[in-house]
Amino acid sequence: MVYNISRLTKAYGTRTVLDVPLLEIEKGLIYALLGPNGAGKTTLLNIIGFLEPPTTGKIFFRSQPVNFSESCLQPLRKSVVMVEQHPILFTTTVHKNLEFGLKIRRIPKKERDHIIEESLDLVGMRNFARAQAHRLSGGETQRVSIARALAVNPKVLLCDEPTSSVDPENQIAIINILKQINELKKITIVFTTHDRSQVTSLAPDRYINL
Amino acid sequence: MDLLVDSFLSALLLVASMDPEMVSIVAVSLKVSATSTMLASLMGVPFGFLVAFESFPGKRLLITCLNTLLALPTVVIGLFVYAFISRRGILGPLDLLYTQKAMVIGQTILILPIVATFTIAAISRIDERYRKTAKTLGANRRQSAFVIFREARFGIVAAVIAAFGRVIAEVGISMMLGGNAKGFTRTMTTAMALEYDKGQFTLAVALGVILLVLSFGMNLLFHFFQGRTRG
Repeated sequence: MVYNISRLTKAYGTRTVLDVPLLEIEKGLIYALLGPNGAGKTTLLNIIGFLEPPTTGKIFFRSQPVNFSESCLQPLRKSVVMVEQHPILFTTTVHKNLEFGLKIRRIPKKERDHIIEESLDLVGMRNFARAQAHRLSGGETQRVSIARALAVNPKVLLCDEPTSSVDPENQIAIINILKQINELKKITIVFTTHDRSQVTSLAPDRYINL
Repeated sequence: MDLLVDSFLSALLLVASMDPEMVSIVAVSLKVSATSTMLASLMGVPFGFLVAFESFPGKRLLITCLNTLLALPTVVIGLFVYAFISRRGILGPLDLLYTQKAMVIGQTILILPIVATFTIAAISRIDERYRKTAKTLGANRRQSAFVIFREARFGIVAAVIAAFGRVIAEVGISMMLGGNAKGFTRTMTTAMALEYDKGQFTLAVALGVILLVLSFGMNLLFHFFQGRTRG
């Protein structure tokens, strides 16, 4: 089990935006968080991505209880990477964007270059390594941000509405990339969506209504 | 009109001949302004970055105070520094009055709020998603701060350029703390004021032309870096 979550809530002031009584996420599978806008999907991703603490509740990550103090979260973030709905790339080349997480993990240069090439290849962006990231289209940005997340070899990949800001052609490509990542690398994937057809194509049996 | 045209033509000849007195004045101006800009940047950029990056009580009040300091008149700074470095001041024994060091102190105080507030503005403009992206990729606090700094780099350079542009054109501090001593603390602006008092316009106009060219260059650079910030 990757995540074991119980009685999780998140409130801003008096307004509760998220209430999850129980949620279990198994290793190596794809899960969908389904719900309309404002259902708390992104908030839940932020919490399980260790980017913000819950108000109440318990989370076990790989059988260990999660302590939401900043010093304890930073090592956990090295295992879980989130790709945002509207991802932002650093103002530099695509190659350096992918290199960022690898440098943090002190991966040697030669190995870094190999991983970057492999990750870009997986999302069909190999020829864009030297391109300036801020000049890419929406679909290309989404693919590069998935490659950037993949490069650091996470245990869990969280995708917030991965196809909502791209054209139909790129939507199909991104869904296929996510399937491929899961099959090849056995990375657990949790994605949010309000589109049932995406659930059908990616996680027909494993979706959570929020 | 003839006076202006004649002065302008004579000034151009003076610039073309690289008059030694004029060159010395320009060199003093550039040296003092560059030193004060460097000092103000060394203090103002990290300070502005910390103010913008961190959350703490009284942050808005501090930014309001810094914005207020932008309007500080040069003569007020001149008087303030004079009170410290004059013979009767607590720093009197250091014998700083009417030296380039005194001018650097005053000018640094003048542009410190400019560097700090422009840095704060540059950092605050950076999309919050950069910090979140750095965090999710495993960056610690220092590494996330570096990402924000790198994204704001053009805005920060623009802050430094704006500060240099302000300081090279100021006259009050240079006059009050430098004393306009020939070959030593005479800057372009104080020399222009003196030449005007003497009724000799050639050197004043020549220095004015150089100052304008420098300001134009600074503005070109400023807009170049501002443009880079907007992507």
